[in-house]
Amino acid sequence: MITKPVILAAENPLSHVVQHPLFTIHVGSLELVFSNHMLMALIAGVLMMLIFPLLVRQRTIVPRGARNLVEALCEFLRDKVIRPQLGENTDRFVKYLWTIFFFILFCNLLGMIPLAGILYFLTGNSHLGGTATCNIYITGALAVTAFIMIHLSGIRQQGLWNYIKNFTPPAPWPLVPILFVLELIGAFVKPFALAIRLFANMLAGHTVLGALIGLALVPRSYAIAGVTVMGAAALSMLELFVAFLQAYIFTFLTTLFLAAAVHPEH
Amino acid sequence: MFECNLLAEGLQVFGDVGLSVLGAAIGAGLVVIGAARGIGHIAGNTVESIARQPEAGGRIFSSMIISAALIEGFTFFALIVCILALNKIG
Repeated sequence: MITKPVILAAENPLSHVVQHPLFTIHVGSLELVFSNHMLMALIAGVLMMLIFPLLVRQRTIVPRGARNLVEALCEFLRDKVIRPQLGENTDRFVKYLWTIFFFILFCNLLGMIPLAGILYFLTGNSHLGGTATCNIYITGALAVTAFIMIHLSGIRQQGLWNYIKNFTPPAPWPLVPILFVLELIGAFVKPFALAIRLFANMLAGHTVLGALIGLALVPRSYAIAGVTVMGAAALSMLELFVAFLQAYIFTFLTTLFLAAAVHPEH
Repeated sequence: MFECNLLAEGLQVFGDVGLSVLGAAIGAGLVVIGAARGIGHIAGNTVESIARQPEAGGRIFSSMIISAALIEGFTFFALIVCILALNKIG
């Protein structure tokens, strides 16, 4: 007989991927709601600000341990992903691209830790965890920064008039207005697709995981529940892979768009 | 005549809500068909080219992963539309 609210499989599978308000700040007539996704994004940022300076401070040439992992990731990104696209502009953008890669990675991985379930036993609040990138506004904010970075860098590199001329591909002159409008729409759709891709991948993963664990409760049998939990563990492995992959894809596509904006090849 | 009566009767029984749920569910299934076909095609070609030239395996595998993630991008976009349609109930 289940009397306590079920933690990992709540009322419906979507209830632990949506935002839950933690507390509300009243500023005049505004009500600012602080939700658990904002808390997880804050924790990801604070973790990044704590971990990376500590790792950089090691004075040995040969990296060991956690610094080795971070350096391997950074070097892979810089030499295999960013430098082939950006060439001599690599050093301008590599810090921004490393930051969004690690922010998305930290947010995704923090979502895989069942903080909400663990902290439920300490506090009564069963929503103190979650995946920050399960929130369209947080991924949308990342896409907005990518949009600003791409177009501002393109304008600074080539000048405003040259940059707008990039949107007109070489084509017979009657087609040029249509193609210009299409390229303009594309400039907005591409960051939007970045946001949606990251958001939907994380949302789908956690929803399926929630639905699968919820399936463990329907038959009142420990054997089926055990099999379901093993299936959920296997799915969590896939989720870990997707966490890394989506961070990589976001960074790689932002690099591609930056390269197209900063030195277009036609 | 018999068929359009069936639809009218169905509308009376299920109502608008049931039709929207049906539409969302069928839509999700169609999305999966398209995405699985696309990604399966990519995976098949990748396996074939790696079998043809195993030394290029790393680069071919990375291209496959990137293409699969791009296709999944707009697949999930369509799935979000289905979820939004489901959420409009009641």
